[in-house]
Amino acid sequence: MGSQGGFGQSKEFLDLIKSIGECRSKAEEDRIVLREIETLKTRLSSPNTPKFKLKEYLIRLLYVEMLGHDASFGYIHAVKMTHDENLLLKRTGYLAVTLFLNEDHDLIILIVNTIQKDLKSDNYLVVCAALNAVCRLINEETIPAVLPQVVELLGHQKEAVRKKAVMALHRFYQRAPGSVSHLISNFRKRLCDNDPGVMGAALCPLFDLITIDADAYKDLVVSFVNILKQVAERRLPKSYDYHQMPAPFIQIKLLKILALLGSGDKKASEQMYTIVGDIMRKCDSTSNIGNAILYECICCVSSLHPNPKLLEAAADAISKFLKSDSHNLRYLGIDALSRLIKISPEIAEQHQLAVIDCLEFEYLFVCSFSCYKASMSLNLAFPYMISISDNHYKTEIASRCVELAEQFAPSNQWFIQAMNKVFEHAGDLVNAKVAHNLMRLIAEGFGEDDDAADTQLRSSAVESYLQIMGEPKLPSAFLQVICWVLGEYGTADGKYSASYITGKLCDVAEAHLADDTVKAYAITALMKIYSFEIAAGRAVDVLPECQSLIEEMLASHSTDLQQRAYELQAILNLDAHAVEKIMPMDSTCDDIEIDKSLSFLNGYVQQAVENGAQPYIPESERSGMSNISNFKSQEDHESSTHALRFEAYELPKPVLSQNVPPILASSTELVPVPEPLYVADILQPATSAPSGSDAGPSELRLRLDGVQRKWGKPTYSSATPSTSSNDTVKIQNEATQRDSVGISNSKTRDVSYDSRKQQVEISPEKQKLAASLFGVVSKSDGRQPSSSQKISKHQNPTSDKSRAAKTAAPDTAAVKTSQPPPDLLDLSEPSVSSSAPSVDPFKQWKAFLI
Amino acid sequence: MASVLQQDVTVGARGKLALLIHFVLLISRQAKVRLTKWYSPYSQKERAKVLRELSGMILTRAPKLCNFVEWRGYKVVYKRYASLYFCMCINQDDNELEILEIIHHYVEILDRYFGSVCELDLIFNFHKAYYILEEILLAGELQESSKKSVARLIGAQDCLVEDAKEQASSIKNMIAQATK
Repeated sequence: MGSQGGFGQSKEFLDLIKSIGECRSKAEEDRIVLREIETLKTRLSSPNTPKFKLKEYLIRLLYVEMLGHDASFGYIHAVKMTHDENLLLKRTGYLAVTLFLNEDHDLIILIVNTIQKDLKSDNYLVVCAALNAVCRLINEETIPAVLPQVVELLGHQKEAVRKKAVMALHRFYQRAPGSVSHLISNFRKRLCDNDPGVMGAALCPLFDLITIDADAYKDLVVSFVNILKQVAERRLPKSYDYHQMPAPFIQIKLLKILALLGSGDKKASEQMYTIVGDIMRKCDSTSNIGNAILYECICCVSSLHPNPKLLEAAADAISKFLKSDSHNLRYLGIDALSRLIKISPEIAEQHQLAVIDCLEFEYLFVCSFSCYKASMSLNLAFPYMISISDNHYKTEIASRCVELAEQFAPSNQWFIQAMNKVFEHAGDLVNAKVAHNLMRLIAEGFGEDDDAADTQLRSSAVESYLQIMGEPKLPSAFLQVICWVLGEYGTADGKYSASYITGKLCDVAEAHLADDTVKAYAITALMKIYSFEIAAGRAVDVLPECQSLIEEMLASHSTDLQQRAYELQAILNLDAHAVEKIMPMDSTCDDIEIDKSLSFLNGYVQQAVENGAQPYIPESERSGMSNISNFKSQEDHESSTHALRFEAYELPKPVLSQNVPPILASSTELVPVPEPLYVADILQPATSAPSGSDAGPSELRLRLDGVQRKWGKPTYSSATPSTSSNDTVKIQNEATQRDSVGISNSKTRDVSYDSRKQQVEISPEKQKLAASLFGVVSKSDGRQPSSSQKISKHQNPTSDKSRAAKTAAPDTAAVKTSQPPPDLLDLSEPSVSSSAPSVDPFKQWKAFLI
Repeated sequence: MASVLQQDVTVGARGKLALLIHFVLLISRQAKVRLTKWYSPYSQKERAKVLRELSGMILTRAPKLCNFVEWRGYKVVYKRYASLYFCMCINQDDNELEILEIIHHYVEILDRYFGSVCELDLIFNFHKAYYILEEILLAGELQESSKKSVARLIGAQDCLVEDAKEQASSIKNMIAQATK
């Protein structure tokens, strides 16, 4: 049959397709299609159009809709065509309606009558076409209209009709189980149909029925086993063979059904062992379809009552998959392994090396993520993460670990430990947000009203950090988290003395002399611990090393560190009451209330004005100066860190600026900070404040206590913000720093697959890696099986996969861009063609012409 | 996507009755659509979105990667034949290799029907490809795994077409003669 015009299309149609094929742009295509739509609109509605022409127009309409344009104006013509007496037109009509319409479309009602008539037709082809439409279009309301005829057709002499009738009934069952519940026995009957096609079709509804209620079909176990046996013994007609496998699709369906029936049923499972074992033995593992059956067998074995022999066979098959060169098979291998591990964890041990080999391929790693749920995949991920030296992938994987951990953590402790691992291995690559999230999590707990649990979480975090912090070369982000947590909660549960914690903090600061951020965190932590001590009325003895550290900081080049050190000194000299106000215990989660209008100062301003001070003129009224000041203010905005500013800070609410000078004048005794900055910091703690001054404002605020108490709202607590605003500013500040580091890291990433490979090639090391990793797996499985199981039950099994997939997409895409363009005739795996000596269609594919 | 999700929810309520195959797509290497068959309800807008997303994902995938893509909680199994990508969307826990072979099964039948099929055959006779697909997949399930049965049915339908044509031409002749 010719490729062009072999089926009698007109030249017009061919031209349309050709011109669309030759389109260079989407706009051009759209223009052609729109023109075509106009033509079709007039021609279809014209009463003079001959019927055989109508058919072609309808096909052209299909084409237009396929290209994504609205063809709804022509739906009615498709419906009309189904009414036609001419079989050719009727068939086209049915094709068009099944493609155009959904089951809830309004036009369905117009077709039901035709379908009813056609189901009674003498011509079995008409009946088939109608049944196709039934499967697609009949909805719950219209089922009763066609149900009797469909049931009658189950006994039709033509097997094609019986088959489609079974499928239609299955569809009805899916749509509205109630409407056909009395007809379910028909599916059982069709199982014994003479025609294998009908029998195969009957397996589909039975599979659904058994999924819902396996117990009602236990009596069929023997029949299914027998059918499977017969299929495997090639008793079906030769035409069902596919690549030398006897009816593989039917085998797979049967295996799926057996898996359902045998799940948790020892007696039923025992009946299946022989046949499943036979099939696994017989499978031709060189062809795709053979492997498909093998995979289905593994799935089946993993859901049957465990049988050591079969498990062994399944494990063998899995190891073949994992060692295969085909990525598809490796993918399935990991998937199958994750199924089998559930019932026999020791298999994991056998295959740990193979799995780790698979992990070397980043994209397979992505797959394995979706297969291995939560803890499993994380345990796999960590050793893998160590082994990669490419920062880009490391970042990718670290962020995915974090994502998974956040989603599936079985317990808080587990989450903290997992995060520790992530930070340990890839700390500098993790988004700074992650660190802040972790801090927030520790501070807020998990939102439950269970204070005991929160406290426990914190002390376990402190404990784990104290253990970890001794290790050399911890990434900066992680150290920041450690310092923060130790500062907030180090002494909270009384287990560790203040001097112990402060000593540790000093060690951290001293070990990272080059890292100002860490030092800043450490000194703030020191400040917190000292103030908690003071507030609790205990005498503070500053360790000599702390003292020297503070002194060193006082002379630091970094104004930020200096500021913090001065603050610390100032606090050390305050009395318990004041310190308690400044640094309340555990106040990070408290909301900060900010009186933006500074109304408490109104009295003061009033007084000043009465005493002859100039009243404040809002900036909008000072328009005469606007030109210069606008220009200047822009400049100032950019360089606000360096320059002092002379005019009022340009905020939308002028009241603020008005009130600033008085504050400074009245209550500031501390280091004078440029006033506009002060306002900016208080009002917009979210903006990344310049590092030199972010601690200053909070200190200034602290001194406002007296002012507030006299004039402020009674609810306003100025003490709380001290730590929190301090921290938020800091966190933001570091976030920006961290980001820039991350960017530069990824820029300078050195693609060094080689070094990674080398690492993996060293087999003893790898083995150690594997042993440790799977050791962890089995241990953790043993320790908290209930929680992890709970997780897996709770979670929709698909959701994490999808999640992984979502993130996987850009990753793989990014990897791919560097690949050379795919070969035009790059076809499937060689194994397929080698196993299909009959006719290999790939070879005959012609080159792409249009 | 909302509609599909909704369906899954209602289906989930009475057990897992999701379709085997949610849709079949044929996309050329230039991201031109050659055939689309939707077994789950998707609005025209959703369809366009799905096509855009998937063609972006699949066409850019390196050839050495596996033939399965995870997408929105589903899996898309695809295979490339010359310049055409055959894609099928399935549920997460289905047997991907089986789907791969269903695709191949379809291709073999197309090949047998057109006699070494090429993309042009499918471009100009896409309705034929639809007819064949309807005989292989019905309501998202594999209805016939015997190539012979499919070929027989399609052959019978084509005979019908030939008959109808002859009939039509003879009628036309008769009319022509009568009007002479």
